[in-house]
Amino acid sequence: MTEITRVQLFSEGGDTWLALAPEMTLLSGLVLLFIVPNLGDAKWRIPLTQVRIPVLFGGRRFTATSDPRLPAMLAIATLLLALWQALISQGADAKTWLLTSGSGAEANILLRVDAFSRIFEIMFYSALLLAAVASIDRLPARRAGSEIQQLIDNRRQVDFYLLLLMTAFGMSIVTMSMDLFVLFIGLEIATLSIYVLVAFHKETPEGAEGGVKYFIVGAVSSAVALYGISLLYLWNGNLQLMSNSATGQIGLVERWAEMESLLGLPLIAFCFVLVGFAFKVSAVPFHFAAPDAYSGASSTVAGILATASKAMGFIGLIRVLVMLAAPADGSAVWMFGLGVIAVVTMTWGNVAALSSSNPKRMLAYSSIAHAGYMLAALAALGAWAWGGESDLISSAPTDAGQWILTALIFHLVVLVAFKLGAFLVLALLETEGEVSDTAPLAGLARRDPIIAVSMFIFMLSLAGVPPLAGFMSKFLLIGGVVKMSAGDAFAAIAAGDGWSLGQMHWTFWLALSVFLNSALSLFYYLRIGVIMFFEVPIEGRRKPLIKAWFLRLSIWVCAIGTVIFGVWSDHLINLCYNAALAVL
Amino acid sequence: MVSAIDYALWIPVLPIVAFPIILFLGNVFKGMPAWRGRWKEGGTIATIVIGTCLGLSIWLIVGYIGQVTGNESVGQIGDWLSFHMVENGNLVSYSLGFGMYLDHVSVMLLFVASFLCFLIAIFSLGYMNSDPVNLDRNHRFYAEFLLFCAGMLGMVLADNFLWLFIFWEIMGLCSYLLIGFYYERPSASYAAKKAFLTTRVGDIFLLIGLLILWNLFGSLDFSVVWAEDNIAAVDAGTLKIALFMMFVGAVGKSAQFPLHVWLPDAMEGPTPVSALIHAATMVNAGLYLVARMFPFFASPAMAGEFTDLAMLIAWIGGITAFMAALIAFVQMDIKKVLAYSTMSQLAYIFTGLGAALWFANTGHEEIALLAFGASMFHLFNHAMAKGMLFMASGSVIHEMHHVHHEVAHHDSGESAAGNAAGGDHDGGQGGGDDHDHFDAQDMSNMGGLASKMPITATAMAVGSASIIGIPLIGGFWSKEGIIGAAWKASLTSGGAWMLGPALLLLITAGMTGFYMSRMWFMTFAGKPNTPVANGVVEQTPFIPIPLITLTVVTLGGIVFAGFEFVHWVADGHAEMHFTHVLSGIGSEMKHAFLPSGEENGALIFLVTMLTIVISTIVGPATAMALYGGRLQKGEKAKPWLAWLVSLSSRVRRNNHFDNSIWANSGLADSLHQRLHFDAWYDAAMLKIVVPFANACAWFDQHIIDGAIKGIEYGSQEGSSVIRRLTTGSGRDYIMMVALGTLAIFVLIWGVA
Repeated sequence: MTEITRVQLFSEGGDTWLALAPEMTLLSGLVLLFIVPNLGDAKWRIPLTQVRIPVLFGGRRFTATSDPRLPAMLAIATLLLALWQALISQGADAKTWLLTSGSGAEANILLRVDAFSRIFEIMFYSALLLAAVASIDRLPARRAGSEIQQLIDNRRQVDFYLLLLMTAFGMSIVTMSMDLFVLFIGLEIATLSIYVLVAFHKETPEGAEGGVKYFIVGAVSSAVALYGISLLYLWNGNLQLMSNSATGQIGLVERWAEMESLLGLPLIAFCFVLVGFAFKVSAVPFHFAAPDAYSGASSTVAGILATASKAMGFIGLIRVLVMLAAPADGSAVWMFGLGVIAVVTMTWGNVAALSSSNPKRMLAYSSIAHAGYMLAALAALGAWAWGGESDLISSAPTDAGQWILTALIFHLVVLVAFKLGAFLVLALLETEGEVSDTAPLAGLARRDPIIAVSMFIFMLSLAGVPPLAGFMSKFLLIGGVVKMSAGDAFAAIAAGDGWSLGQMHWTFWLALSVFLNSALSLFYYLRIGVIMFFEVPIEGRRKPLIKAWFLRLSIWVCAIGTVIFGVWSDHLINLCYNAALAVL
Repeated sequence: MVSAIDYALWIPVLPIVAFPIILFLGNVFKGMPAWRGRWKEGGTIATIVIGTCLGLSIWLIVGYIGQVTGNESVGQIGDWLSFHMVENGNLVSYSLGFGMYLDHVSVMLLFVASFLCFLIAIFSLGYMNSDPVNLDRNHRFYAEFLLFCAGMLGMVLADNFLWLFIFWEIMGLCSYLLIGFYYERPSASYAAKKAFLTTRVGDIFLLIGLLILWNLFGSLDFSVVWAEDNIAAVDAGTLKIALFMMFVGAVGKSAQFPLHVWLPDAMEGPTPVSALIHAATMVNAGLYLVARMFPFFASPAMAGEFTDLAMLIAWIGGITAFMAALIAFVQMDIKKVLAYSTMSQLAYIFTGLGAALWFANTGHEEIALLAFGASMFHLFNHAMAKGMLFMASGSVIHEMHHVHHEVAHHDSGESAAGNAAGGDHDGGQGGGDDHDHFDAQDMSNMGGLASKMPITATAMAVGSASIIGIPLIGGFWSKEGIIGAAWKASLTSGGAWMLGPALLLLITAGMTGFYMSRMWFMTFAGKPNTPVANGVVEQTPFIPIPLITLTVVTLGGIVFAGFEFVHWVADGHAEMHFTHVLSGIGSEMKHAFLPSGEENGALIFLVTMLTIVISTIVGPATAMALYGGRLQKGEKAKPWLAWLVSLSSRVRRNNHFDNSIWANSGLADSLHQRLHFDAWYDAAMLKIVVPFANACAWFDQHIIDGAIKGIEYGSQEGSSVIRRLTTGSGRDYIMMVALGTLAIFVLIWGVA
């Protein structure tokens, strides 16, 4: 284990800046995005004199700074820098930091920077970076027209990229938070930005409708979660997860573990908190607004919803389920409930996707199904004997828990490659006009073979076909669940008693249900292939696709990543494993 | 320290990666001048990729030979997945990955495959790209060609039978695709299907054999299945069945009796394909597989158990060798002659391997290694010579075709257009769309080309000499060894049955002399039989490069022999004798011409001499008497060919005889019908397979599809029900959230 460094936030010395380098970069980027486009020739006259001092802020904007393409560049540069900082902070000598709100008696542990937070930072920044690069073509800057039109367009661009950076910032906080309230704040920073991004195309009825619905349902869920958090506060007196030896405060984790029998108050609170995160990962039945939001938003934003935003929800779930309500004996109270929700979610998602003719809704349901798979893994984790002393599954491999969590994290990370990639292909098609049914995809292979093949790769990966990344992640997920559930069977084998299905823990059926659902899902994934390769393009979509090099670049990166992480995944799996170790 | 092993994985991976890339680029840039010109429609990429593979292979081989001996297995070099499985109540860990196994045999085949693939890639640059028929679809050729190369290279390097099988199947697929390259021609698509299905029969047996092997050993890794202890632990009878099944697979792949019917038809593919797949590399896969069975036979625990299987292998070889040579007598199509010759020569190797396995199984280890080495050396020599012969024949066909186009153009302007569009290139059989049914592959249309195509004629002469086994040239060294081994086996106690194959091989040696010479003299000696043949010139770029290279290699067979190649390849611990080549050659010469010191030395000596006499004198002389002849007036062949031509004309003048009795006999007729095998197989198909297939189709349609359709229908129904719940109203959504919250409470409280 790496040693843990405790640092007071913004204390003397540069430790805060070191630990939070990517977040600081994002903040600076945010500030720059506010300031730079507003630079102008405004002058301030010193009262009673004729002396005018140029204040540079406001007035007639400079051409260079009000260029509509500037915000995109600024945002991309910021995200690139942040991603680079997150990447270089990986490594063997990476420190674990605990950031506290102050020193002395009133200090709270707020943030924790470790392998877990770093891998998710990388994942968030990559997803948002790809989306930002793609948006250069999806939300093209119009440089023609009058100056005022340019300025309006510049504003629009600033809004969009500002929100992207804001999302990134909020998500970073969520991954690091060690305090439920900080987590909630981060979640809301990110979520509120996303609500606006979803409704960014407010001119279209779908955009406005989807955005509003998503906002309303999201607000209700958040409110429920916040209520749960307040109950937890009532119960424990603080919201920190970890106990703080410096101040003698007992964290939620320790307090929960201390409970002799389950008390009503924390359990009610726990259920309420669960609702908030279940909405974020769009588990059934909190998912209803998701398909509407996906189809109303532009495809790049929908891609963020399906990857980064979903990962944020899972981080919350991991914090609450795995850290807070971690059972010592391998019989988590939430195991059964989560298992039921997982099975319902994955089945619902797949079955609904079967008859969706709108590819964006199809992908939305597919992403619900994927959430179901991951929830199944989490549920199986509930059967893990923390510390290995459980009579329930006494002889499950002691690292089974880490492996399930690794698989979960790996799945969330590689999802960026193929899920976002698929949405980006739709974004490319959207540049020609609305994509509300499969017709725009028809004959794509003839119009643009490379894009069509990339899309097909994404579909195969989503379905889990080897050797793509989606196969690897699903393999790890199912393998982890089976490993976990086979505990008693292993014991029987070790004792020479042979093996039977009845000895498997019931979570084994979760693995089976993931497996069957994957088979079911092949139908609608492959259908996209059939449409792209065998149907004839519709009227008006016959010519080759527009160039849109930035968008294409993002798609290629996704496609290459999908293949690479399927074949050479060792390094990434190691990173994910370290992240899992940091939690468990 | 950078070692070749680290990069060896790229040898099969590079072509696999390049395969989709070329297909892609080809589809994107099809028809653009630069793509057709500088990029040769993908040919440039293919050549570079294969060249890199060759470089890597040579690097690997040099390193391997340099590090002397003993170190055979390289082991797993890439793990992809590993998992546990419960097996017989035990937890067993498996891993999926690719490993490499290097020993002398695989190193030798690695060189053969990569070297020939590279040369053929160069050849194709000239052959494929200068033919308008192939315009805008050459990328398909190059892509499939690369995939094929990947299959061969991967198969050779694989460290277990599973990967061997996978790459084996890749080759089968590519064979299908490439034979059917001109799929618009019914004969080509028929040939493709035939090749695929026939080899598939063998593949099924191979698969069964491998499954039995898996069942016996619990693994297909060479290192496991060859381990002495493991072999000793298994049941000999079961292992024999497995080996037999695997042998049937090899029979299919190497086109041996009775699964030989596909090889002649496979000549429907473009000539580089014939050269590559059906002569130089793919057919060797079967031999390689049989060679990989050697450790089972050599295991002391199995001594004497597999003698009948070894005998069967030798017999199959003998029968095929004889039969193929017989059919080759009457072939008029230059590529078909070569096809049957391939079959016949591979059969030699099978017999040699059969003898080697027999010796190994009866405990004569030393002779076994000699026979094994001779077989492998023959594989090497044959691959080089046959690759060259096919490319040379391709060169002839290409130029004939080219001239024919020009002549046709002069004759009638209007038919030229149709000719260029529907030009029938390699199709000896399906030449129906040419206005005058001219067949550029028919040897009766050729003649007298020795002076017009000197490089090709030389290459053809050297290649034929190597196949015939003219002393001192390539194939001689190995063929002598094989025939000697077969005879020795027949003279050893218990091996009397080996006499059959031994005799067949001896006779076939003479027949080989005849049909190979016949082909050469019909094509290159005498006077041109058609105006087209009269106008032929060697002019296509790239084609001479591989011809010259391979001529040198084939002539250099003596040097390889001097390296004691035979010893080296058979004995994993032997070294290459680079330093004393001359003494090596001396001892090989002594071995080949004056075998002595062993039991029955006199008889073996007699057999050797008899082989030399009938193959180098009787066979070619008969061919000269029938088909020899002076060149046209004013034409002069190169000095090293001129004597051959004039000798042939002299022999013909003095000894010409009338062979029409033979040519019109019933035997010749059934030879033309390929001994009716195809007809029998077709009849069997119609009687047995088709009704069975119909029954399967009914079952599939009604039972299986019925179930699937039921599931599909049910899912779609469910889908629409579920979607009806998604009302689109925000109020309902919130109600669902409330319900969900309640559900969570129930589920969690229920447990707690």
